Formats: sequence, C-alpha cells, structure tokens
Amino acid sequence: MSIGIGDILLVSPMIMLFLASIIPITIKVLRGNIEQSPSATLIQGLGGLFAAIVLLMVVSGSGATAFANALVFDGVTKWMGFIALLAAAGSLLLMYDNPSTTGDQFSELVFLTLSSAIGMLILVSAVDLLMVFIGLETMSLALYLMIAMSHEQKLSKEAALKYFILGSFASAIFLYGIAFIFGSVGSTYIPVVIQKTSELITSSRIYMFGITMLILGFCFKVSIVPFHAWTPDVYQGAPTPHTAYMSTAVKAVSFAAFLRIIATKSLVGSENLFDLLQWLAVITMIVGNVGAILQNNFKRMLAYSSVAHSGYLLVGVITTGISDDMSFGATGVIFYLAAYTLMTLGAFAVVTLMEKSEETIINVDDLAGYAKKRPLMALCLTLFLLSLAGIPPTVGFFGKFYMFTAAIGEGLIWLAIWGVINSVISVYYYLRPIVVMYMREGGVDEAPHSMNATRTAIIVSAILVAFLGFISGPIFELVERALS
Amino acid sequence: MLLSTIVFLPILFSAILILWPKESTLRPLALGLSLVEFLVSLVLIHRFDMTSASLQMVEKYPWIERFGITYFLGVDGISLWLVLLTNFLTAIIVLGSWKSIETRVKGFHVALFVLQTAMLGTFLAMDAVFFYLFWELSLVPMYFMIGIWGGPRRIYATVKFFIYTMLGSVLMLVAIIYMMFLTQEAFGEMSASILDFYRLDIPFVGGQFFSLQTLLFFAFALAFAIKVPVFPFHTWLPDAHVEAPTPGSVILAGVMLKMGTYGFIRWTIPMFPEAAEYWAWLFLLVGAIGIVYGALVAMVQPDIKKLVAYSSVSHMGYVLIGLFAFNQFGLTGGLYQMLNHGISTGALFLMVGMIYERTHSREISKYGGLASVLPLFTIFFFIVTLSSIAVPLTNGFVGEFLILLGTFKAEPAFAYVAVTGVVLGAVYMLWMFKRVFFGEKGELVKDEHHPLLDLSLREIMVMVPLVVMIFWMGIFPNQFLDYSKASVDHLIQDRGNYMLSIQNPKSDKINASIQGENK
Repeated sequence: MSIGIGDILLVSPMIMLFLASIIPITIKVLRGNIEQSPSATLIQGLGGLFAAIVLLMVVSGSGATAFANALVFDGVTKWMGFIALLAAAGSLLLMYDNPSTTGDQFSELVFLTLSSAIGMLILVSAVDLLMVFIGLETMSLALYLMIAMSHEQKLSKEAALKYFILGSFASAIFLYGIAFIFGSVGSTYIPVVIQKTSELITSSRIYMFGITMLILGFCFKVSIVPFHAWTPDVYQGAPTPHTAYMSTAVKAVSFAAFLRIIATKSLVGSENLFDLLQWLAVITMIVGNVGAILQNNFKRMLAYSSVAHSGYLLVGVITTGISDDMSFGATGVIFYLAAYTLMTLGAFAVVTLMEKSEETIINVDDLAGYAKKRPLMALCLTLFLLSLAGIPPTVGFFGKFYMFTAAIGEGLIWLAIWGVINSVISVYYYLRPIVVMYMREGGVDEAPHSMNATRTAIIVSAILVAFLGFISGPIFELVERALS
Repeated sequence: MLLSTIVFLPILFSAILILWPKESTLRPLALGLSLVEFLVSLVLIHRFDMTSASLQMVEKYPWIERFGITYFLGVDGISLWLVLLTNFLTAIIVLGSWKSIETRVKGFHVALFVLQTAMLGTFLAMDAVFFYLFWELSLVPMYFMIGIWGGPRRIYATVKFFIYTMLGSVLMLVAIIYMMFLTQEAFGEMSASILDFYRLDIPFVGGQFFSLQTLLFFAFALAFAIKVPVFPFHTWLPDAHVEAPTPGSVILAGVMLKMGTYGFIRWTIPMFPEAAEYWAWLFLLVGAIGIVYGALVAMVQPDIKKLVAYSSVSHMGYVLIGLFAFNQFGLTGGLYQMLNHGISTGALFLMVGMIYERTHSREISKYGGLASVLPLFTIFFFIVTLSSIAVPLTNGFVGEFLILLGTFKAEPAFAYVAVTGVVLGAVYMLWMFKRVFFGEKGELVKDEHHPLLDLSLREIMVMVPLVVMIFWMGIFPNQFLDYSKASVDHLIQDRGNYMLSIQNPKSDKINASIQGENK
C-alpha cells in the first residue's frame, strides 16, 4: 500500500482543518500562554472551516477513494460534510458569545471543535468499518473534552462524565460488532460486507450478532430509544453552543455513517432486523415527543425533541436500507438533516441569547414577554419551532415531506403515519414557547453583553428556514444526482 | 397573473404593514389595502366566463419537478364566490376590528393578511401539495389571532384548535403522497396536480373499510370534516369561537369553516366518487345529527357568542347534507349556504362583538329590553337573525330551501330530520332575540353609569354591506348562482368520471367547438 499525492489531495479538507485548528493554540503558546483576542481566534477557526468547506466541495462528489479504499469522497461525503462543517461554523459563533465557553481557554476550545470536525469528515467519508470507528472516536473524544471544559462547574462536568462513560460503552459495543463481522466476512470494507450480507444474514449467527451490535452502537450515538437516556442530561448540562453542535453536526454525521452501513439493501435479507428497526423508530418518536411534553427546561425539551427527530430520521434510514435506489431515500435523509440542523441550531442560539452567566438555566416559562421585548428574535424562534413541528411552508415541512414520501414510496405507510401522528403530538410542546412568548406578559431578560455573532447565526438560519423550502426542489435533485 | 395577484397581494400588504412606521395611520392603510384586494377580486368576476365549467385563468408552472409538484392556480364556479367572500369579509373585518383590537394593532393586521393569503390559496390552488401548504399555513395566523387577542381561556382554545385541525390534515398529507405515487404508477410520471388525481382510477370495494379508495377517501374526509366541523369532531369549535376576538370569530366562521366544505366539493367527492356515494349515508347522518344537535345545544347556551358558535355547527350540517345529496339542488344549495353562513354568521359575530365592546358581557340573562335603548342595533340584529333562520327574501332561505329540496329528492329520511332544524333554528334565535332585546331591562341595560350608545357611523358602515348582501342574495339568487351553475352541473352529471379541463383564454372558441363535438 502506497500513499500517493492523490490521497493527500483528497483529504486536504481534513488537513486544512488540522492546520487551522493549531493556529490559535500555537499563537497562545508563543505569547507565553496568554490568550489572543477571542475574535481573532474565532476568525481563524471560521476561516479554517470555510476553507475546508471549499476544499470539500472541490475534491468530493466524484466517488474517488483514498488510502486503499478506506475513505470515499462521494455525494454523501460532500453534502453531509457540508452540513457538518456549516453547523460547526454556526456553533463556533455561539461559543464566541456564550459566557460558559468564551474567554479563558477559547483557543483550546476552537482547537477541539475543529478536531472533532476532522473526526466528522473521517466519519462521513469512511467506507471501512475501522475508519468509521476512528472517525467516531476522534469526534467524540474532542466532544467529551469540550463539554468538560465549560466554565460552569457542576452540570457540565456531570454531563461530560456521563457522556464519556456511556459513549465509551457504546464504542466498545460498536467495536465488538466490527470484530464479529470481520470474523464472519473476513473484511471490514463496507462494500464487501454488504455484498456478503444477503447470504450471511440468514446463515451466519455470528454475522447477525455483529451487525446487530454495530447498529446498536449507532443507535446510541444518534440517541434512538432505548439508548437515549444520556441525551437529556448531556444536552442540558453541556454549554448550549456545544449542545447545538452535538444535536446538529454530530447527529448529521452519525446518521451519514449509519446510512452507509444500512444502505443498499442490507435490511432486505433479515426480516427480524428490519422489524426491530421499524419498532425502534416508532418507539423513539413516541418517547421523544411524549417526553418533551413533560419538560419545562427549554434545553431538555429540545433534547427530547432531538430524540424524536432521530426517530423520524430512522424512518428515512430504513427506507434507504430497503430500497433498490438508495439515492432517493438517502437524499431525503440528507435534506432532512440539513433542515434539522438549521432549525435546531437556530433554536439553541436563541436560548444562548438569554444566558447571562454560565449558571443560567432557561425554562420555557422564562420566555414570557419575549415577543414584546425582542420581536425579531421571537419571530425567529417561532419560525424555528414551527419548522421543527413541520408546519408549512417552513423548511422543516419539506424535510418531512421528502422523507415520508420516500418511505411511502417503499411501502412503509405505517411508519409514515406514525411519523405524521407524532408531528401532531410534537406540535403541543413546540407551541408552548410560542404561547409563552406571545401570549403571556413577563419580564424576560437577555444577556447584557453584545451577542452580534449569535444574532447573525440566528438571522441567517431563520431566513434559510423560511425560504429554503421554496427552492428545495432543485436542491433535492442536485443532491440526488450527486448520490446516484 | 390575476390569480397570483389575488393570492399573494395580501402577503405584500403584510410586508408593507410591518415596515409602516406610524401606528396612527395603520388602520386606514390596512382598510385601504383590503379594499384594493377586494376590488382586484371584482376584476376576477368580470373576467370569469360563466358558461364554462373548466378551470379558468389558470397559472401553471413547474415547481418541484422531481415530484411533479406544480405552482398551479385556477378558478371555477365553485371557488369563485368563496374567493369573493374571503376578500369581502376581510375588508369588513378590518373596519369592524377598529375598536375591538386595542393592543398590537400592527401584529393583528399582519396576521390577518397572511391568513387571507392562506385562505385564498386554499381555494385557488389546484395542486395537492400546493393546496396543503396553504391549508396548513392558515392555522398559524389564526393560532396567533386567538392566542394573543382572545378571551380568558384563549391559550387552551387556540392550542386545541391547532392540534385538532392538524391531526386531521396530516393524514391527508399521507394520502396525498400516496396518490402521487399512484399517478406515477398510472401515468408513468409523478404528479400532484388535481387534474391527474381526477384521472386516477382507484379500485373500490364496497363494504370493506380497508380498501384503497375507502381509506384514501376517509383520510381526506377526516381533514375536511374536522375543519367543517362535522358533528363528532366539532368540539374545538365552541372553544375557539368563544375565545377568539370578534374578527377572529368572523374569519373562522365566515371563511375557514368553508375550507372544509370546499375541500369536500373540490377534492373528496370528485376524486373518490364510488366511496363518496357508498359512504354518503354516513355524512348525511352526521350532517343531520349536527343540525339537530347544534340547534338543541345552541338553545340552552347562556352566552350569546356560544349560541352563535353552536348555530354554526347546525348550519354547516345543512351544507354537508346538501353536498352529499348528490343532485343539483343539494349541491347548489350547499354552495350557496356556505356563502350565506359566511355573511350571516359573520354579521352575527360582529354584532355580538359590538355589544360586547359596550358592556363587556355576553350573558343573555344580563340583557333584556335592548330594543328601546339601541333601536338601530336592534334593527340590524333582527335582519341578520332573520337571515340566520332562513326567512324568505333573505339569503338563508334560498340556501336551506335548495338543500332540503335536494335532500328530499335523494334521501327523504334525512330530510325529515333536517327540516326540524329549521324550526329549532327559529326557536333558539328568536328566543335569544326576545330575551336580549325585549322584556324587562336587564342589569346591564339599565345601568345608568354606563349609558349604552347606539351604533356609530363606522359600525353602520360595517353592517350595511352585510345587510345589503343578505337581501341581494335572498332576492336575486340567480345573479350569484349563474356563475356556479356550469361547474355544479358538471360535477353532478360527470361525478363518476369527473375531469376538469383547463381553459385557455386565447383559444376559447376552439375549446367551445371541441366541447360541442364531444356532446
């Protein structure tokens, strides 16, 4: 095996990210362990991310592979990487303004964020199970640290530890699954695994065990019920920008890798696995939505909503898994992830606006009177919430529409009906903040310091959420063409 | 371009209002804009060709080509008057809300105009997904209208309204998507256009609930039935109506309920003719129950607004049995009754609002003897009451008469039940009228600290157009019905195999000659 210049060119986005990530900490060291101004750090970080996006757009999409078929740069890599890096950029803006992340150690934080972004790029491009594992771990390890680094002293530490322990446990299960698959197939290269799936899934218990473990590992990462229990605690305890990062970028790339493994008919051979995933999807939707109804803490509510959205996305993943033409279902999933990223990032960004110090806890009732005080921001949050609920003409509606269309096209009508019924349930809690903002009097307070970076992120995502749906047709076709 | 202008002009208006700097001139501006919109829709009548049953002034552009979703607007005799009704009532509401909306005036008008676009889009969109967008969008401004400017239990009412209606419509979405795949199977290309949905031949098995056409039929019917609302699904309506501010109630009763019945005429019945015919008894039954039940419950309401709200349940029951009688009389009557109900119930809600602004109470028992204090108000109220109980010469009579005629022809048994509703309607309205306007002066009326003032010039201006319409539609119904006749005849005659053609304005003559040959 030799590494050529072509390989290096293909991974140039990751190299770019790495180089950008070490700039701030190097400067810090050179200055004698004194932080440079956070805005300089932010610009370096954002610059690295955008340069990586440009490189990614250039090098990927062709389906070229690097490092002896370990990484592939096809449509999924291109668009999922794009979503993940944009979400990372948005989260960086939030981190810059948030009291629990900015200031002290901001350069280290940017380093970690970009490092986890490298892990994400590896994860979305990996076609070898071991590479998937490496990507997953690179991403997660940086995240554990990021959460633990919060200036808030209690909940964030608890969250980091919980996430770390449970995450490692899930990684172990995942690796265990890989070992079994390797034992039965003799390779960890995903196309080979898929090729042998149809014969092994009925004949080999070992393979069955391996693939089940693998899927369960993913279920943990994307918080599918009953592996979701960490989600509310971690999302609540982590600094809000990190929560935004986890619920958008991390979820998007985990689903991308999930898609790669499930895609192209690996579910067709096994009725049991297929049934299992269907039930997991339904239960996830129900538990997420019903759980969210009971929450008063805004971040916790969004955490449960994120669980519910994993359920919807799992429907899309299953659709991809059973269809002959994987690009249709996969495009639905990617579009939904893009929509979900925009609206979730926006919603969390509005939460950060109100965090005066790192200790602040935002309850839904605290939003009372927000519409009077900040009509524009309240309108943006309303848009995000309506979009999360899937009310037209927001982008969230189009996301659900495409994904459920794909599901119905594959005959999964019952799953689609569960999905839409759950959207109705979800309306109840998504409307609550709107009720409180617009229909109750109260003295909501925003953080006194300037929040222009966050506001920019909010307004950009709000505009996209409101109007992206109308031009979603061409976008959908573009992505679909890139995938097929 | 006319239809696009009509649909999207209100959105433009709301943008203007958002940017408008002066609060004091906001209402006159909004009134002017709503009148402009109304005038534009008069152009629609002028250009409308009443001899044709096909879709007119069609605008069709590809939108999401991957799924065959189009930007598709068109008007025919069924939607024409509903568009007019919407714009007429919106203009009235802007004037009628002058005093009743005191806070967040700008927000209210913005919501109103967004709502107007959503309603007009619902009536004019001829693409299923495009239609669904407007259908769901209409929930959002109404949700804010009830929730922000409503009564004490407004939050409960508005959330219930939102969730209830959405529950119905999501299943419709699944059905729409499914039908899009059916078009792909049948014609090789996916399409969400209603014209292609009409062309579909969906297998029907009588007596079996879990057969394709029946399931699709009920998925659509449930969405519309909740919106109408048909009897067992009506429970959101009294809450929403009572808690909504006056203009909200007017729009809700006047236009939004018609979105449901319009949906039956435009989507459910022609798309699923066999299922509609097979299950007609069910809708006749719940319609008839709704008529009697709504009337009986209205009778015992202590609150005037609630009484009017339940009367809506009763009136919409008439519309429903008219539609499912499947003959010219029933359908024409149903269509006409939709307009009547919009005008007379809208007027009733406005008048209830006017009296509420004066006394801040809607309890019937606190009134009495209003006639001697507010003579002008009494006259207007009496006229509207007469229209609501369908006295000849008023519009209500034409609609109810035609519906009952149609039902007698089709299913006499249901007509017997429905006729009792006419009597009961007179009972609850007149009894209420007697208790409020005649007899001993009630505690609110004789309160000397708050002398009641009769209608102001503005309020008269609000009521006069409505009263004019009540008599105009009652005395010269043909002037209105002529426009819908071609479409109604077409729907009744070709119901089993309903198609709509698109009328090309430039080749009217060619079209006419083709139709002639076909006959």
